[in-house]
Amino acid sequence: MSQRRRPAVAASRAVLSPEGGGTVADLERPDRRRPLDGGAAPPARRRWLKREHALAYLLLAPLVLIMLLVIGYPVVNTLWLSLTNMAIIGSPSSFVGLDNYLTVLQDERFWASLGRSVVWLIGNTIAVTVLAFGAALLLNRGGWIARRARIWLMFPWVIPTVAVAIIWQWLLNSNYGVVNYLLQTVGVLTAPLNVFGAPAAALAGLILVNAWHWFPLSAVILFGALQTIPEEVYEAAKVDGANPWQTFWRITFPLLGKVLFALGLVGTLWTFNIVDTIYLITKGGPADASMTAPIYIYDQAFKAFHASQAAAASVLSIVALALFAALYIRFARPKEA
Amino acid sequence: MAAEITSTHAHPGRPSRLPGRLGRILAWIAFGLLVVGPLYWVVASSIKGPEEIIRRVPTLIPSSLHLANFTDLFASTDYPVYLRNSLVVGLATALVTLIVSTAGAYGLYRLNVPGGKLIGGAILLSYMIPGTLLLVPLYQTMASLRMINTLTALVIVNVAFTAPFCVWLLHGFLDAIPRELDQAAAVDGAGPVRTMIKIVLPLLAPGLATVAVYAFVYSWTEFVFASQLVVSDERKTLPIGLSAIMGQYNINWGLLMAGAVLTILPAVILFAMVGRWFIKGLVTGAVK
Repeated sequence: MSQRRRPAVAASRAVLSPEGGGTVADLERPDRRRPLDGGAAPPARRRWLKREHALAYLLLAPLVLIMLLVIGYPVVNTLWLSLTNMAIIGSPSSFVGLDNYLTVLQDERFWASLGRSVVWLIGNTIAVTVLAFGAALLLNRGGWIARRARIWLMFPWVIPTVAVAIIWQWLLNSNYGVVNYLLQTVGVLTAPLNVFGAPAAALAGLILVNAWHWFPLSAVILFGALQTIPEEVYEAAKVDGANPWQTFWRITFPLLGKVLFALGLVGTLWTFNIVDTIYLITKGGPADASMTAPIYIYDQAFKAFHASQAAAASVLSIVALALFAALYIRFARPKEA
Repeated sequence: MAAEITSTHAHPGRPSRLPGRLGRILAWIAFGLLVVGPLYWVVASSIKGPEEIIRRVPTLIPSSLHLANFTDLFASTDYPVYLRNSLVVGLATALVTLIVSTAGAYGLYRLNVPGGKLIGGAILLSYMIPGTLLLVPLYQTMASLRMINTLTALVIVNVAFTAPFCVWLLHGFLDAIPRELDQAAAVDGAGPVRTMIKIVLPLLAPGLATVAVYAFVYSWTEFVFASQLVVSDERKTLPIGLSAIMGQYNINWGLLMAGAVLTILPAVILFAMVGRWFIKGLVTGAVK
């Protein structure tokens, strides 16, 4: 941290230095130089603020426009779509009120997919947290391996999901896969297991693949947070006779509160929305075993051609997520220290 | 540069307790196997012959260097086209995200514009909208703008989904730059634009690097939107092209391995070169 602030401090010293008194602007136009005390007169200040606000809106415009085009307008469109009876995307449709919502709410497959999404979320949260915390704590201990690991530990995250899907389908292949071979050699398995073909194992397998793909990003963010905890705190804990377990739960974990809170919220929303990993490997199968809510919606829209029902299910998913976020923010927000 | 973020908690001089050290080395080996193991296996498989790759007892080291999988890939697929498209979309996404999110973050968190809190909240709220669930209306929107089957559509969508995270990242970086600098610049007669370009932006460099790498990686990986918004073969990105090979040659594992290796390689090489800037940025910036 300190090393990033250093140039800032140096620059501020240059701005405020009495002999130079100068910013880059002054050096270029010495006639504009003003004494420090008289510079911020009220009218000038107001003019400055006005220009500042104009600049702010100008700077914000591209961001707001893109978000409106790609997210804002489609959300409104989804709401409208969910109240009509469109079948194939783009086909003519008419207003049907809340019919689609009733259909979706009575569809057992929708509720089952929502339940699987909960399993998917919990499984990923546990797997990613364990892997990311383990990696972050190791990185934080420093040393020769840790410095190099900062790069290669990130590789699973930079690999495209399609490649991740291919890698794990190959590794876990029931006939030629190396994992099946190793597990049978050491005696864990007696017969080859087709992970993604077995209804009981497919979702669990996908959770592990997804955790492998995403844990590095969380690991680096956690590592960054760990770096902000001063060494003295750990020294003090050691003097007080705390063991590593106590140190972790009483010091490290609470001090990471803010980062964990943000990571938990953003991570949950991202994880819920994952389609590619699941779709590329199992397409929601076998026999719906890995069909989470977004896969259900994708299938309704692009395979079953129930565009309006897909939209209604989307709206219901968004409501569920918003509810989760509200409860999460209400109850998990770390207390201001 | 990477060496500069040395861990503050390392004790290089002091010998640590042996069991703890052994445990750490074992943990590193486990992570190494978990992360590098699969990658090695794919590379090794890609240079195995058609008989060796499906051998009952797999060989750890390929018995011979068999490059036919790679020559087949170039002969039977449009790999070079996919690669070019992925690079174009990735670089454009990185550049546009950089401009849009830096401008946005500066306007929101540095200039404190009236209504900024509301806009910032709305942008963060867009996280809650499941992006993939908007595929249907987004397809219609792009169709009405006549942008289906263009790389521009992919760039626009990628930017919209990377920008919120990048604005959030830059928020931390901006807060770390003292505001006294801006005030001093104002007192000295620099206008808001000059203050931004000459004073704040140079200090934001590590954050900008982080944002660019994040956006590129996102775009390189993106599958769902690319699979729907692009139709013709000459516009497909690598993930789409590769997934087509996956369906087409479902049993030709050698070809699939070669395709995977050539999709992984550009990303891994790029990250090996610029990754340290990215890590440094995340480590110092995202924590705020």
